[in-house]
Amino acid sequence: MLFNEMKKHDPLVIANKTFSSRLFTGTGKFNDQKTMIDALSASQSELVTMALKRIDMETKEDNILAPLIKNGLNLLPNTSGARNAKEAIFAAKLAREALQTNWIKLEIHPDPKYLLPDPIETLKAAETLAADGFVILPYVHADPVLCKHLESAGCAAVMPLGAPIGTNKGIRTTDFLEIIIEQANVPVVVDAGIGSPSHAALAMEMGADAVLVNTAMAVAGDPVAMSEAFAKAVQAGRQAYLAGLGGQSNNAMSTSPLTAFLEADSIKGGK
Amino acid sequence: MQVFVNEKKIEVDDKSNIEQLLLRLGKPLQGCAIAVNQEVINRSAWRKYKLVEGDEISLFQAIAGG
Repeated sequence: MLFNEMKKHDPLVIANKTFSSRLFTGTGKFNDQKTMIDALSASQSELVTMALKRIDMETKEDNILAPLIKNGLNLLPNTSGARNAKEAIFAAKLAREALQTNWIKLEIHPDPKYLLPDPIETLKAAETLAADGFVILPYVHADPVLCKHLESAGCAAVMPLGAPIGTNKGIRTTDFLEIIIEQANVPVVVDAGIGSPSHAALAMEMGADAVLVNTAMAVAGDPVAMSEAFAKAVQAGRQAYLAGLGGQSNNAMSTSPLTAFLEADSIKGGK
Repeated sequence: MQVFVNEKKIEVDDKSNIEQLLLRLGKPLQGCAIAVNQEVINRSAWRKYKLVEGDEISLFQAIAGG
Protein backbone atom coordinates (compact mmCIF):
# COMPACT_ATOMS: atom_id res chain seq x y z
CA MET A 1 0.00 0.00 0.00
CA LEU A 2 1.37 3.43 -0.87
CA PHE A 3 2.03 5.96 1.87
CA ASN A 4 -0.93 8.30 1.33
CA GLU A 5 -3.35 5.36 1.41
CA MET A 6 -1.58 3.79 4.40
CA LYS A 7 -1.69 7.06 6.31
CA LYS A 8 -5.49 7.20 6.19
CA HIS A 9 -5.66 4.09 8.33
CA ASP A 10 -2.78 4.98 10.62
CA PRO A 11 -3.53 8.03 12.75
CA LEU A 12 -1.47 8.80 15.83
CA VAL A 13 -3.68 9.52 18.80
CA ILE A 14 -2.33 10.98 22.02
CA ALA A 15 -4.90 11.74 24.72
CA ASN A 16 -7.69 13.53 22.83
CA LYS A 17 -5.70 14.64 19.79
CA THR A 18 -5.15 12.95 16.45
CA PHE A 19 -1.98 13.71 14.52
CA SER A 20 -1.31 12.95 10.89
CA SER A 21 2.39 13.80 11.21
CA ARG A 22 4.58 11.62 13.41
CA LEU A 23 7.33 14.21 13.54
CA PHE A 24 7.23 16.50 16.54
CA THR A 25 9.56 19.46 16.64
CA GLY A 26 11.02 22.02 18.97
CA THR A 27 11.28 25.77 18.52
CA GLY A 28 14.71 26.25 20.09
CA LYS A 29 18.07 27.19 18.56
CA PHE A 30 16.81 28.58 15.23
CA ASN A 31 18.73 31.66 14.06
CA ASP A 32 15.63 33.75 13.53
CA GLN A 33 11.88 33.52 13.72
CA LYS A 34 11.25 33.33 9.98
CA THR A 35 13.61 30.39 9.59
CA MET A 36 11.89 28.65 12.47
CA ILE A 37 8.41 29.14 11.03
CA ASP A 38 9.51 28.04 7.54
CA ALA A 39 11.30 24.99 8.97
CA LEU A 40 8.30 23.97 11.06
CA SER A 41 6.12 24.30 8.00
CA ALA A 42 8.52 22.16 5.92
CA SER A 43 8.55 19.53 8.66
CA GLN A 44 4.73 19.25 8.50
CA SER A 45 4.83 18.91 12.26
CA GLU A 46 1.60 19.50 14.15
CA LEU A 47 3.04 19.58 17.67
CA VAL A 48 5.87 21.88 18.74
CA THR A 49 7.57 22.32 22.06
CA MET A 50 8.13 25.62 23.81
CA ALA A 51 9.87 26.67 27.00
CA LEU A 52 9.04 29.20 29.67
CA LYS A 53 11.31 31.71 31.33
CA ARG A 54 11.21 34.57 33.75
CA ILE A 55 10.70 37.81 31.85
CA ASP A 56 13.66 40.12 31.78
CA MET A 57 12.13 43.44 32.83
CA GLU A 58 14.74 45.49 31.00
CA THR A 59 14.43 44.05 27.50
CA LYS A 60 11.60 43.59 25.07
CA GLU A 61 11.39 40.03 23.88
CA ASP A 62 9.99 38.62 20.67
CA ASN A 63 6.57 37.11 20.95
CA ILE A 64 7.07 33.83 19.11
CA LEU A 65 3.70 32.53 20.17
CA ALA A 66 1.55 34.47 17.71
CA PRO A 67 2.97 32.95 14.48
CA LEU A 68 2.80 29.42 15.95
CA ILE A 69 -0.87 29.83 16.85
CA LYS A 70 -1.58 31.45 13.48
CA ASN A 71 -0.12 28.38 11.75
CA GLY A 72 -2.47 26.13 13.72
CA LEU A 73 0.25 24.29 15.60
CA ASN A 74 -0.46 22.45 18.82
CA LEU A 75 1.82 23.64 21.61
CA LEU A 76 3.70 21.39 23.98
CA PRO A 77 5.28 23.49 26.72
CA ASN A 78 8.17 21.91 28.57
CA THR A 79 9.42 22.15 32.13
CA SER A 80 13.00 22.65 31.05
CA GLY A 81 15.08 24.17 33.82
CA ALA A 82 13.27 22.27 36.56
CA ARG A 83 15.68 20.37 38.81
CA ASN A 84 13.14 18.47 40.89
CA ALA A 85 9.47 17.50 41.00
CA LYS A 86 8.42 20.60 42.93
CA GLU A 87 9.93 22.96 40.36
CA ALA A 88 8.51 20.94 37.48
CA ILE A 89 4.99 21.07 38.93
CA PHE A 90 5.31 24.84 39.38
CA ALA A 91 6.59 25.19 35.80
CA ALA A 92 3.76 23.01 34.46
CA LYS A 93 1.12 25.16 36.18
CA LEU A 94 2.72 28.33 34.79
CA ALA A 95 2.87 26.80 31.31
CA ARG A 96 -0.81 25.87 31.49
CA GLU A 97 -1.69 29.51 32.13
CA ALA A 98 0.79 30.94 29.63
CA LEU A 99 -0.18 28.71 26.73
CA GLN A 100 -3.69 27.71 27.75
CA THR A 101 -3.02 24.01 27.30
CA ASN A 102 -2.92 21.18 29.79
CA TRP A 103 -0.31 19.33 27.69
CA ILE A 104 3.12 19.26 29.25
CA LYS A 105 6.47 17.80 28.27
CA LEU A 106 7.75 16.86 31.69
CA GLU A 107 11.51 17.12 31.84
CA ILE A 108 13.60 17.27 34.96
CA HIS A 109 17.34 17.34 34.55
CA PRO A 110 19.35 18.47 37.53
CA ASP A 111 22.75 18.02 35.85
CA PRO A 112 23.56 20.71 33.25
CA LYS A 113 26.45 18.77 31.68
CA TYR A 114 24.53 15.76 30.35
CA LEU A 115 20.95 16.95 30.94
CA LEU A 116 19.94 13.41 31.81
CA PRO A 117 16.42 13.11 33.18
CA ASP A 118 15.93 12.35 36.86
CA PRO A 119 13.70 9.25 36.97
CA ILE A 120 12.62 9.52 40.60
CA GLU A 121 11.60 13.17 40.47
CA THR A 122 9.95 12.65 37.07
CA LEU A 123 7.73 9.87 38.39
CA LYS A 124 6.82 11.93 41.47
CA ALA A 125 5.90 14.93 39.35
CA ALA A 126 3.93 12.78 36.89
CA GLU A 127 1.76 11.38 39.68
CA THR A 128 0.90 14.85 40.96
CA LEU A 129 0.33 16.39 37.52
CA ALA A 130 -1.86 13.49 36.37
CA ALA A 131 -4.12 14.04 39.38
CA ASP A 132 -4.34 17.70 38.34
CA GLY A 133 -5.59 16.82 34.84
CA PHE A 134 -2.42 17.36 32.83
CA VAL A 135 -1.70 15.45 29.62
CA ILE A 136 1.84 14.40 30.44
CA LEU A 137 4.58 13.43 28.00
CA PRO A 138 7.60 12.67 30.17
CA TYR A 139 11.16 12.86 28.84
CA VAL A 140 13.00 9.88 30.30
CA HIS A 141 15.99 7.64 29.87
CA ALA A 142 15.27 4.55 27.76
CA ASP A 143 14.26 2.63 30.87
CA PRO A 144 11.49 0.09 30.21
CA VAL A 145 10.59 -0.32 33.90
CA LEU A 146 10.29 3.42 34.45
CA CYS A 147 8.19 3.78 31.30
CA LYS A 148 5.67 1.24 32.65
CA HIS A 149 5.53 3.11 35.96
CA LEU A 150 4.88 6.37 34.12
CA GLU A 151 2.17 4.71 32.07
CA SER A 152 0.51 3.48 35.28
CA ALA A 153 0.82 6.99 36.74
CA GLY A 154 -1.38 8.25 33.91
CA CYS A 155 1.08 9.64 31.37
CA ALA A 156 -0.37 10.04 27.88
CA ALA A 157 2.85 8.94 26.18
CA VAL A 158 6.48 8.28 27.06
CA MET A 159 9.46 10.03 25.53
CA PRO A 160 12.60 7.96 25.96
CA LEU A 161 15.90 9.37 24.74
CA GLY A 162 18.05 8.12 21.88
CA ALA A 163 21.10 9.98 23.22
CA PRO A 164 21.64 13.04 25.44
CA ILE A 165 19.83 16.25 24.42
CA GLY A 166 21.40 18.17 21.57
CA THR A 167 24.23 15.70 20.96
CA ASN A 168 23.02 14.54 17.51
CA LYS A 169 24.52 11.12 18.32
CA GLY A 170 21.51 9.16 17.12
CA ILE A 171 19.79 6.09 18.55
CA ARG A 172 22.25 4.74 21.13
CA THR A 173 19.59 3.03 23.21
CA THR A 174 18.24 0.67 20.56
CA ASP A 175 17.86 -2.51 22.63
CA PHE A 176 15.99 -0.71 25.41
CA LEU A 177 13.79 1.28 23.06
CA GLU A 178 12.74 -2.04 21.49
CA ILE A 179 11.61 -3.31 24.90
CA ILE A 180 9.79 -0.05 25.66
CA ILE A 181 7.99 -0.15 22.31
CA GLU A 182 7.07 -3.81 22.75
CA GLN A 183 5.60 -3.25 26.22
CA ALA A 184 3.98 0.16 25.90
CA ASN A 185 0.24 0.72 25.94
CA VAL A 186 0.74 4.43 25.31
CA PRO A 187 2.51 6.05 22.34
CA VAL A 188 6.32 6.00 22.44
CA VAL A 189 7.96 9.19 21.17
CA VAL A 190 11.72 8.93 20.78
CA ASP A 191 13.15 12.24 21.91
CA ALA A 192 16.64 13.68 22.12
CA GLY A 193 19.81 12.77 20.31
CA ILE A 194 18.27 12.31 16.86
CA GLY A 195 20.86 14.01 14.68
CA SER A 196 20.00 13.04 11.13
CA PRO A 197 17.03 11.85 9.09
CA SER A 198 18.44 8.31 9.08
CA HIS A 199 18.32 8.26 12.89
CA ALA A 200 14.67 9.30 12.76
CA ALA A 201 13.91 6.67 10.15
CA LEU A 202 15.57 4.00 12.30
CA ALA A 203 13.43 4.91 15.32
CA MET A 204 10.30 4.74 13.17
CA GLU A 205 11.30 1.42 11.59
CA MET A 206 11.66 0.04 15.11
CA GLY A 207 8.02 0.91 15.73
CA ALA A 208 8.28 4.18 17.61
CA ASP A 209 4.99 6.07 17.32
CA ALA A 210 6.71 9.40 16.71
CA VAL A 211 10.00 11.22 17.12
CA LEU A 212 10.82 14.66 18.45
CA VAL A 213 13.57 16.56 16.67
CA ASN A 214 14.84 20.07 17.34
CA THR A 215 18.59 20.64 17.34
CA ALA A 216 19.33 18.67 14.17
CA MET A 217 16.92 20.85 12.21
CA ALA A 218 17.72 24.17 13.84
CA VAL A 219 21.52 23.98 13.50
CA ALA A 220 21.60 22.49 9.99
CA GLY A 221 23.22 24.49 7.18
CA ASP A 222 19.75 24.85 5.67
CA PRO A 223 17.20 24.27 8.43
CA VAL A 224 14.20 24.39 6.09
CA ALA A 225 15.62 21.76 3.73
CA MET A 226 16.69 19.60 6.67
CA SER A 227 13.22 19.78 8.18
CA GLU A 228 11.70 18.53 4.96
CA ALA A 229 14.29 15.73 4.86
CA PHE A 230 13.23 14.72 8.37
CA ALA A 231 9.58 14.70 7.34
CA LYS A 232 10.40 12.29 4.50
CA ALA A 233 12.54 10.09 6.73
CA VAL A 234 9.82 9.78 9.35
CA GLN A 235 7.27 8.88 6.69
CA ALA A 236 9.65 6.33 5.13
CA GLY A 237 10.43 4.81 8.50
CA ARG A 238 6.77 4.50 9.45
CA GLN A 239 5.88 3.04 6.07
CA ALA A 240 8.70 0.48 6.37
CA TYR A 241 7.51 -0.50 9.85
CA LEU A 242 3.94 -0.98 8.64
CA ALA A 243 5.12 -2.82 5.53
CA GLY A 244 6.95 -5.35 7.73
CA LEU A 245 10.72 -5.52 7.54
CA GLY A 246 12.36 -8.74 6.37
CA GLY A 247 14.14 -10.85 8.97
CA GLN A 248 17.90 -10.89 9.45
CA SER A 249 20.17 -13.89 9.21
CA ASN A 250 23.85 -14.65 9.72
CA ASN A 251 24.23 -16.68 6.53
CA ALA A 252 24.00 -15.12 3.08
CA MET A 253 20.73 -15.72 1.28
CA SER A 254 21.03 -15.40 -2.47
CA THR A 255 18.75 -12.93 -4.21
CA SER A 256 19.40 -14.62 -7.60
CA PRO A 257 18.88 -18.27 -8.47
CA LEU A 258 22.19 -20.15 -8.15
CA THR A 259 22.65 -21.60 -11.62
CA ALA A 260 25.50 -23.89 -12.56
CA PHE A 261 26.46 -22.19 -15.83
CA LEU A 262 29.92 -21.14 -14.64
CA GLU A 263 30.97 -24.67 -13.79
CA ALA A 264 33.47 -26.31 -16.16
CA ASP A 265 31.06 -28.99 -17.35
CA SER A 266 28.40 -26.51 -18.32
CA ILE A 267 30.93 -24.43 -20.35
CA LYS A 268 31.90 -27.51 -22.30
CA GLY A 269 28.30 -28.11 -23.04
CA GLY A 270 27.71 -30.55 -20.21
CA LYS A 271 27.26 -34.26 -20.35
CA MET B 1 1.97 51.02 46.68
CA GLN B 2 5.05 49.00 45.86
CA VAL B 3 5.23 45.42 44.65
CA PHE B 4 8.16 43.38 43.37
CA VAL B 5 8.08 41.99 39.86
CA ASN B 6 10.88 39.53 39.15
CA GLU B 7 12.78 41.13 42.04
CA LYS B 8 12.36 44.64 40.63
CA LYS B 9 10.50 47.25 42.72
CA ILE B 10 7.48 48.61 40.84
CA GLU B 11 5.06 51.37 41.87
CA VAL B 12 1.43 50.54 41.10
CA ASP B 13 -1.93 52.06 41.99
CA ASP B 14 -3.51 50.75 45.16
CA LYS B 15 -5.79 47.78 44.62
CA SER B 16 -4.38 47.13 41.16
CA ASN B 17 -5.26 43.77 39.72
CA ILE B 18 -2.93 41.54 37.71
CA GLU B 19 -4.24 42.58 34.33
CA GLN B 20 -3.69 46.23 35.22
CA LEU B 21 -0.16 45.42 36.34
CA LEU B 22 0.67 43.74 33.03
CA LEU B 23 -0.73 46.67 31.07
CA ARG B 24 1.26 49.07 33.28
CA LEU B 25 4.42 47.06 32.50
CA GLY B 26 3.64 46.99 28.78
CA LYS B 27 3.90 43.23 28.68
CA PRO B 28 1.76 41.19 26.30
CA LEU B 29 -1.04 39.26 27.97
CA GLN B 30 -0.67 36.41 25.47
CA GLY B 31 1.94 33.85 26.44
CA CYS B 32 2.37 35.21 29.97
CA ALA B 33 2.02 33.46 33.30
CA ILE B 34 2.00 34.96 36.77
CA ALA B 35 2.73 33.72 40.23
CA VAL B 36 2.10 35.87 43.29
CA ASN B 37 4.13 34.86 46.32
CA GLN B 38 4.93 31.54 44.60
CA GLU B 39 1.25 30.75 43.91
CA VAL B 40 0.33 30.42 40.22
CA ILE B 41 -2.73 32.58 39.45
CA ASN B 42 -5.22 31.28 36.89
CA ARG B 43 -5.62 33.56 33.92
CA SER B 44 -9.37 33.71 34.56
CA ALA B 45 -8.69 35.26 37.97
CA TRP B 46 -6.30 37.99 36.78
CA ARG B 47 -8.95 40.71 36.76
CA LYS B 48 -10.31 40.09 40.21
CA TYR B 49 -6.99 39.30 41.93
CA LYS B 50 -6.09 42.44 43.88
CA LEU B 51 -2.42 42.97 44.62
CA VAL B 52 -1.30 44.13 48.03
CA GLU B 53 1.74 46.09 49.20
CA GLY B 54 4.95 44.06 49.05
CA ASP B 55 3.60 41.21 46.90
CA GLU B 56 6.35 39.26 45.20
CA ILE B 57 5.27 38.69 41.64
CA SER B 58 6.98 36.30 39.26
CA LEU B 59 6.30 36.98 35.63
CA PHE B 60 7.02 34.35 32.98
CA GLN B 61 6.80 34.24 29.23
CA ALA B 62 6.71 31.49 26.63
CA ILE B 63 9.92 31.36 24.64
CA ALA B 64 11.51 29.09 22.04
CA GLY B 65 12.69 25.75 23.38
CA GLY B 66 13.05 22.07 22.61
